[in-house]
Amino acid sequence: MQRMLTFIKELFSPPPSAPPMTPAELKDAFRKRYRNFRALLTANNNALQAMAELEKIYYSGESYRMAVIRSKTTTILVNVYKMISSLLEMSGGRYKDLEVIFEKISHEIEKIIEKKPSFSQGPFILPLAEVGEKDRAQVGEKMANLGEIVRVPGCVVPQGFVITASATRHFLTADHIAEINRRLQLLDPDDLDGLLRTCAEIRKDILDIPMPPDLEELLHVHYARLEMVSRPGCWLAVRSSALGEDAAGVSFAGLYRTILNVDGDGLVAAYKEIIASKYGARAIAYRRKRGYRHEDIEMCVGCLVMVDALTSGVTYSRDPSEEESEVVRINALSGIAKGVVDGTRTTDLYLVSRETPHAVVYREIRQGQGKASDQCADSSLTYGQIRKLAEMALRLEGHFGKPQDMEWSFDHQGALTILQSRPMLISQPQNAQEEAAPSSRAENGEQPILFGGICASTGIACGTVFRVNAASEMPDVPMGAVLVLEHPLPEWAPLLSRAAAVIAESGSEAGHLATVSREFAIPALFSLAGAMDLLADGETITVNASARSVYLGCRQDLLTQRAVRKDIMAGSPVQRILTEALQYITPLNLNDPNAPQFKSSWCETLHDITRFCHEKSVYEMFNFGREYKFDQGAAKRLVGEVPLEWWVVDLADGFRAGADAQGQTIRIEDIVSVPMLAIWQGISAFPWEGPPRVSVRGFGSIIFQSTMRPELDPAVASALTTRNYFLVSKNFCNLSVRLGYHYAMIEAYISDLLTESYVTFRFKGGAADMKRKAVRARLLAEILQTFEFRVELRSDSLLARVKKRPTEFLERRLKILGYLILHARQLDMVMNMPNAVERYKEKFLTDIEKMLS
Amino acid sequence: MPNKLLMVDDEADFREIMGKFFKRRKIEFEMAAGCREAMDLIGQDSFDVVIMDVSMPGLDGIECMAEIKKIRPDMEVIILTGHASVNTGLVGMKKGAFDYCLKPIDFDELLEKVLLARERAAGKAGG
Repeated sequence: MQRMLTFIKELFSPPPSAPPMTPAELKDAFRKRYRNFRALLTANNNALQAMAELEKIYYSGESYRMAVIRSKTTTILVNVYKMISSLLEMSGGRYKDLEVIFEKISHEIEKIIEKKPSFSQGPFILPLAEVGEKDRAQVGEKMANLGEIVRVPGCVVPQGFVITASATRHFLTADHIAEINRRLQLLDPDDLDGLLRTCAEIRKDILDIPMPPDLEELLHVHYARLEMVSRPGCWLAVRSSALGEDAAGVSFAGLYRTILNVDGDGLVAAYKEIIASKYGARAIAYRRKRGYRHEDIEMCVGCLVMVDALTSGVTYSRDPSEEESEVVRINALSGIAKGVVDGTRTTDLYLVSRETPHAVVYREIRQGQGKASDQCADSSLTYGQIRKLAEMALRLEGHFGKPQDMEWSFDHQGALTILQSRPMLISQPQNAQEEAAPSSRAENGEQPILFGGICASTGIACGTVFRVNAASEMPDVPMGAVLVLEHPLPEWAPLLSRAAAVIAESGSEAGHLATVSREFAIPALFSLAGAMDLLADGETITVNASARSVYLGCRQDLLTQRAVRKDIMAGSPVQRILTEALQYITPLNLNDPNAPQFKSSWCETLHDITRFCHEKSVYEMFNFGREYKFDQGAAKRLVGEVPLEWWVVDLADGFRAGADAQGQTIRIEDIVSVPMLAIWQGISAFPWEGPPRVSVRGFGSIIFQSTMRPELDPAVASALTTRNYFLVSKNFCNLSVRLGYHYAMIEAYISDLLTESYVTFRFKGGAADMKRKAVRARLLAEILQTFEFRVELRSDSLLARVKKRPTEFLERRLKILGYLILHARQLDMVMNMPNAVERYKEKFLTDIEKMLS
Repeated sequence: MPNKLLMVDDEADFREIMGKFFKRRKIEFEMAAGCREAMDLIGQDSFDVVIMDVSMPGLDGIECMAEIKKIRPDMEVIILTGHASVNTGLVGMKKGAFDYCLKPIDFDELLEKVLLARERAAGKAGG
């Protein structure tokens, strides 16, 4: 109560004596203050808009890039800075400490956004036999795991060595990386052709960088050692082992190159190729989508002696396509493992019990069928080999403590070598209804046009067919297309970000494209014979991968069964950065202008600063007239047939010429501000019925809150706490409405120049609990959306805008807002009553329709 | 004699695009490829607004703005930045830029800022 009185005293007592000025000087000073006020409001709009956009992308679950975070943050920083400058000019430097606070906050934000990952220096090359978990930061995920599993009894890995992250930084220096990043930043993210072109250029540049002589010499020394333990001239598999791919649920499957059959002479070239593959189109598109900056990933390279493979494959210690499954899944083929993971070859499938003696519960010999294979139709594995693989997969799962995805080969002597083991990516939990899909097909009577194949990623989606033929160029795939491929090559991964579903004639669930589809939760149906011939470009189809069916047309009945997509950015460095930065940007601590904490020193975020500046700028405008005894600029009380209490400040030409400029009051007839008059028509269209009738529970809650917040006491919440100010000129109006914690603002500029015209509405708070306040805000948001407002809504905070529309359109929007701010008063109190939302929505829409007709 | 706009950017392609844009909007303008050329032009003609790219060889946009402000403190400068760092825009503002725009340019946004800068320049000139 005390602070309320202080405020009122401040507002209505004679102000501190201001320096005397001539009328001309006064007019000029007022004009200048108004100009700054306008600039501050514009900056306020821009800052809050950018904050809303930043929050929107953060909560969308879609992917976003550092470039977006940087540009939005810059917009926010610059506009908050402008607000502070304008307020200082308006107030003669009264709130100077804001600059210091802003400096501190912006410094923190900059530190978060520009923070680079730190890397430690180590040896250039490490023998694989010496590598373990502890060397992860030098050798990357893959090689650290491979070094680690040697400790598992009976587990044999190839001989080899790792070229470390320290070596990579020695080869590809900070200057090279800065130049690469500069080129990538210039790219339009949707321009796939441009991306491919730039990637090809970057690759060429990296291949042209001379190998540091010390590193080259070391490489040959280690190769010579391998020759001694295997055989002279031995062949190596040179594989990427990236660093920083540690986030949960992120596969990075098949993004980087593996080069087989490399001898001593080809080693340097192969090494460069692997390093360059960090900037392959696939890898770049994937990092963007999943929220990794290029600097978050460092390449290490494993050089492993090739296994003379008779049979190879991939084993999952737990079948990824079924939750809680008690089977090990083995995909196998003759020869080396490459054909499994790049999806070019069909594999044999074995499902094996996790219990000893590991009985084969399901077997599908697919090799030798379909056009992708030239193999005979015999089983590629013996039962002994199957059991051995199951045992090994379970042992690795035991060692690492989670299900493993293991790549292996049997050589001609029958010895098993493990080529890789990594944590398995668990597929989306399957929607129970999806499994029922085949039966609903029967009921419906509509048959699928294609049926069969292998479900590589569960889910249902609809889109238009886009057949991808030529491997030479990345085609222009429209958003939401169903990709139809002959082979599910990993090269097509960049297209997945635009695809609704993927169908391929070959491939299995163990391929890289299958892994990436599961990760992006895009339905994928592979090894579906005849798809390329039967499906025509541009045709709309619905793919139910779970039920291995393809239907003509868009089947809404199936689509409603879709599971919700997961947050694609979860756990990524870019998301982490935004999470941290938002802490300094969006939280609002300065809620109540009457609270003792409503001071610049309590501003902790940029949102606080905007709120503070806005409030104080209104105050500075409102007080100019009294401060300088400038009647023309003083606040006048609106009198006549008016509900509640309203004050008006004429900023320039908002009053009728000849209206009493010296008076304490003003009548609505004397106002010529176009936007204010429109709002006023909305306010006065229907009488306010007074506060809604509150249930006992709701009322108890008000009383409870009132004991803590005296301004909510119905006895206190009289005209004095209800401060409604109009600041007006002919084309402009800013209306602030407040009732206790509830705050609403309408701002409009109406001009014949469409680019300048806008209407903005902000609404936040109330006296009820957060749930009811949020319900009220949503009710308003829904109504405004039906009238073409662009709406951003977060809990109880609402921002609605229309701009660049004709005068008549905007005037009607202002009427609607005028109506709503009056009739939504205190409505939050009853938002928990049954049907309240529907009832009020209907009433409001009916009233508005009547008012506008 | 109406005031002109001065566009300073080292990229010829970008100057060409902007030139077409200004012509279509009937905005009088001159182009400079670097700071020295800009300073020469400012000495010869009457400008009220400068649009300046931040990253240029030699003196960069922020330094160039400081040079211009030494001889023409009232000149309104709109700086253009890429999104390399969050700080560039802010540094520009602190050193006295009227506003900033991010590249790639949103033409409507830039035009709006040019008009506002003109309004402020006129306000200053009028007292």
